[in-house]
This record gives sequence, structure tokens and C-alpha cells, in this order.
Amino acid sequence: MSEIVLRVENLRTSFFTRRGEVKAVDGVSFYVRESETFGLVGESACGKSVTALSILRLLPEPAGRIIGGKVILEGINLLDISKKAMRAFRGKKVSMILQDPMTSLNPVYTIGDQIAESVRLHQGLPDNMVQPEVISALRLLRIPAPEMRLRDYPFQLSGGMRQRVVGAIAMSCHPRLLIADEPTTALDATIQAQYIALFQEVQKKTQVAIIFITHDFGVVGKMCHRVGVMYAGKIVETAPTRVLFQAPRHPYTIALINSVPRLDRKDERLYSIEGQPPSLMNLPPGCRFFPRCSVSETVCREQEPPEVKVGDEHLVSCWKVK
Amino acid sequence: MLSVVADTVTNPSPKTSGPPRKGRFFKNIWFFIPAIVLTLLVLTAIFAPLLAPYDPIKVSMREKLLPPFFMEGGTTKHLLGTDKLGRDILSRAIFGARISLSVSLIVIAITASIGTVLGISAGYLGGRTEAFLMRVTDVSMAFPGLLLAMLLSVSIGPGFWTVILALSILGWAPYARLIRGEALRVRGSDFVAQARVNGASPMRIMLKHVFPNVLNPLIVVMTLAVGFIILAEAAMSYLGIGVPPPEPSWGSMVADGRSEIDRAWWISLFPGIAIGLVVLSGNFLGDWIRDKLDPRLRQV
Repeated sequence: MSEIVLRVENLRTSFFTRRGEVKAVDGVSFYVRESETFGLVGESACGKSVTALSILRLLPEPAGRIIGGKVILEGINLLDISKKAMRAFRGKKVSMILQDPMTSLNPVYTIGDQIAESVRLHQGLPDNMVQPEVISALRLLRIPAPEMRLRDYPFQLSGGMRQRVVGAIAMSCHPRLLIADEPTTALDATIQAQYIALFQEVQKKTQVAIIFITHDFGVVGKMCHRVGVMYAGKIVETAPTRVLFQAPRHPYTIALINSVPRLDRKDERLYSIEGQPPSLMNLPPGCRFFPRCSVSETVCREQEPPEVKVGDEHLVSCWKVK
Repeated sequence: MLSVVADTVTNPSPKTSGPPRKGRFFKNIWFFIPAIVLTLLVLTAIFAPLLAPYDPIKVSMREKLLPPFFMEGGTTKHLLGTDKLGRDILSRAIFGARISLSVSLIVIAITASIGTVLGISAGYLGGRTEAFLMRVTDVSMAFPGLLLAMLLSVSIGPGFWTVILALSILGWAPYARLIRGEALRVRGSDFVAQARVNGASPMRIMLKHVFPNVLNPLIVVMTLAVGFIILAEAAMSYLGIGVPPPEPSWGSMVADGRSEIDRAWWISLFPGIAIGLVVLSGNFLGDWIRDKLDPRLRQV
């Protein structure tokens, strides 16, 4: 087994609003290994993106605050270091790709300048060494004729190309960990497939660990080695991707996988989960999924379920799973 | 932009590009005319000692109140006539360009710089910084500028730098307002988020990402300010709190002619025309640049 790059332990992040505390992330733990892609899935507003922003310490201030836990990267707890030291980590050891490639690039600079900015900022290379680094980053993301593309402005590139440039910026300083926040959502299906293949290739070449945030189970199946399913600020089930699809244990995971539309089954109606996720402002005392769960018991209402190990790297938080 | 590119593609040789070139001139006439006028005036200011036929402050009581050459009693020795001290109006107007234009350029440079720095800081950093800076801006905008100018003129004495100080001390506020709004817009954009994710410091983001993206409106307002500042300088000179005599400025020349307006209107008219030309040129140029930079009007 390869080395663990990032370990998140019991991370808790809240937003303090005028109406009260919103527990966006409430005790999330997971790890990612070298050359591994860890998927973080769940419906909107379940805390996926807030988890990612907490790792980078880029929560919107002053409302968002990390109130507990550890984020350990290469033996260093990122929550303990100074702001300045944190900036040196961002883009160098940990990179992130944001959702929308159309707007993630500054319209007034050429793409060469934008990649070079990151290289200069983190690697302290002499000027004549910057250009080759930029070109190799573009080449890594398979951007054709990188020497020519350097001088292009973002508006001259297609959406898919821009997304690759964003990837090239993220990879330009050889990070250990890459966080991708729904990078494929804004792309159409064919480009999406290409992009995923490209990511896998980049990972093979660089051994980068990837946290892949998505709500698309199709993408999860293709891209991720292991998956964490989030519900209302908690990870309810973690498992290797194949296990998760073939033998999901948590009722929420089961329901989610059942609600993915399938071409090989001719159901009349799409399956959907009854009810709404709970408000993160006043959470029920027991299991968060309890009100929507079809197999719930009294204990579910009263006490939070413990995390149980049910197989190799397979963890579930549910009273019904023994 | 596109039409220029298209022209050079279809007409690779400059000889064959007769009609399109002319078309380009007329299409951008509101750029060329004001630009030419302003360039000529700036050149006039720079080369004033070479162009002016007389010393602008030389008094010659025997030749006082001579009308322009085209009027009865006028002479071609004094093309635009003389004032009540016999000083040559043309020479004074030429030298006056120096003061009027340099005041406006210096004031614009100062106010735009201060306003941009404060505006970007307020807009990007937000929070208490923003609240504080914007309240200061509000106060500055509410304060009567002319009153402060008079106060300064009285307390530190009138002069070239007093005029500049008086116009700069409050003049940055509108820039700060405008740039703050623009910085707010840019702050929310994804490429700023991406820069933060890549580990850029707030200083770096403000300089490299926010500043270039607020340049367009800044340039427009700076151009439009040329006219405004010349008018303000003229108003100060007219009230006697500007650059003190005998140094000529357009504003003080207009004020000089006030008492003689019924018999020697030319003393006020010619500097007045000069003021009008600069103000109009600045406004037209500003409008033109704004239209060109407006992304909704620009084709990419």
C-alpha cells in the first residue's frame, strides 16, 4: 500500500450567521493515498465543498470557521500553521481546481503568464527556467502545440482547453494533493470522458493524490478508487468504489445508488428519496438520515450511530449495520 | 479592433488601402479629432517659448486693449489683440496652456492613484477597512471643495502647488467609489478564487488580478476628468485663489477680461475657447474610450 498523503481527522467547520451556527461539516474523517483518487459524493449543500475549502483554509471570512479536527499533510497539521506558511502550501503541495473553467482564468493575461505566475511564486526558479516548466505543465495536460498556446488569451480557447489550462496551473508545481471540486460539471459528456481519462493519465505520471468532489455517480465509478458518501455534514459510508456500488450498506447510499437512472432497467418511475435533508442549523439528536430512512428504529432517533468497520476499508455509520 | 485586423488582411499593401483607411478615420472621428486637438495643445504647452510671439508678462501700456487683427484698429503684430496692460493675448494663451494642462495632468495622476489604491483596498479587503475607507470617502464627497480651496489658499498662500493640493485633497473620492465597486465585482470572480487557491497573497491578488481588471473604467474617468479639472482650475483663478498673476492661466485670463467685457471681449473669449476645446475633447475622448472598452459593444 502506498503512502498516505492527506489525513483529515474529525474535521468540524461551522458558519456563524445572524440566525445561528450552521454546522456545515461535523466530524469528517478520511485519508487519501499517493496515486489514489478519493471521491466525495453527496447531494448539494451536504458539506463537500466546505470540506475542500477547510483543507485549504479558504473559508469565506469571517462567517466560516474551523472549530475542530486535524488536517495532516506530510506530517504537518495545516490547521496549526501560520497564514503565510499556509499560502506556501496552496498551489505548491495542495492544488485545487474550481468548477467553472470559463471564468477561472484571468482574462487580461495570456495562459503562459498565468501558469508562469504560479511557477515563479512557488518554485523560485530563475527566469530562463520558468518557460520550460510552463511548457511541460501544458504538455502534461496534453495541450497541443504548447509553445504556440502560451501566447493565447483565455477567450481564444474552447471550454475544454481552458479546463486543461486550469489543470496545468494546478499541476505546475508538482503538488502532492489535488482537490477537484466538480471539475466536470460544466463540461459536456464527451469532453467529460476525455477529461477523466486525462486526469487518470496525469495521476499515473505524477502519483498525485486526488480528492474528487462530485454528485455524479457515473463519474465516481470511472474516476475514483475509494468513495466517501456525505450526508448533512458527515461521511456516512466510506468504501472502495466497487464495493460501494455492489454492496452498499448505509440506507442513504443504497437509496442514492437506486436513484441513479439506468438504461438497462425499465422502471416506470425514477426512484427518489422522500423528504428533505435536515437543516444544518438544528440537527436532530440521533442519526441525521433518520427522518427519511425506511428501516429506522427508535435508537436511530435518540443516538448518533457509531462508525462500524464492515470490511476492508469499508466503514459505515448506521445502527442497522452490524 | 476587428475591422483594423480585417483591413490589414484584405489589404496587405498600404497603397491599395485608400478607401478603407478613409473609412476608418471617419468611423473613429470622435477619437481622432479630440486626440489631435489635445495633442496639439500639449505640444503648444511644451513648446510655448518657441511659439509665443511675445513675452506673456511683458507690459506695454502704449499698446493696451488692442483688438484682434481682423477688427478695425487691430494689427497683425498682435493677432488676438492685447489686454488692459498691453500684454499679447496669443502669447498669454499659449503660456496659459502650460499651467492649465499641467495642473490637470498632475491632479489626475495624484487623485487617480490615491483613489485606485483606496478603492481596491476597500473593495478587495472588505470588512472594517472597507467601512472606514468608504466613510472617509463619503465625507470627502460631501465637503464643499471650493470652500476648502479658499481655506488652503488663504492659509498657505496661493500658488501652483496650492491649486494642485486643493484639487487633489478631495478629488480622489469619486475614483475610490468607482474603483471599489469594480473591485467588488472582480473579487467575486472565479479567477480571484483560483489565485487564492494557488497560494497568492492578498497584495499580489490586488496588484496582479484586481488592478488590471479595473483599468477600463479608470481610464474612462481619468479622460473625462481632464475637462473637469481645467474648469476647476479656471474657477479658482477666476476667484483669485488660483495661480497668482502675472503668471497666465486660462482661468485667470478669463477673470482679467471680466471688467472690460463690454469693450474688449477678446481678453476673455480666446482663453475661454481654449478651455472649451480641452473640456470637449476630453469628454469626447472619454466617451469614445468607454464605448470601445464596453464588453457589450466589443466583439471578441
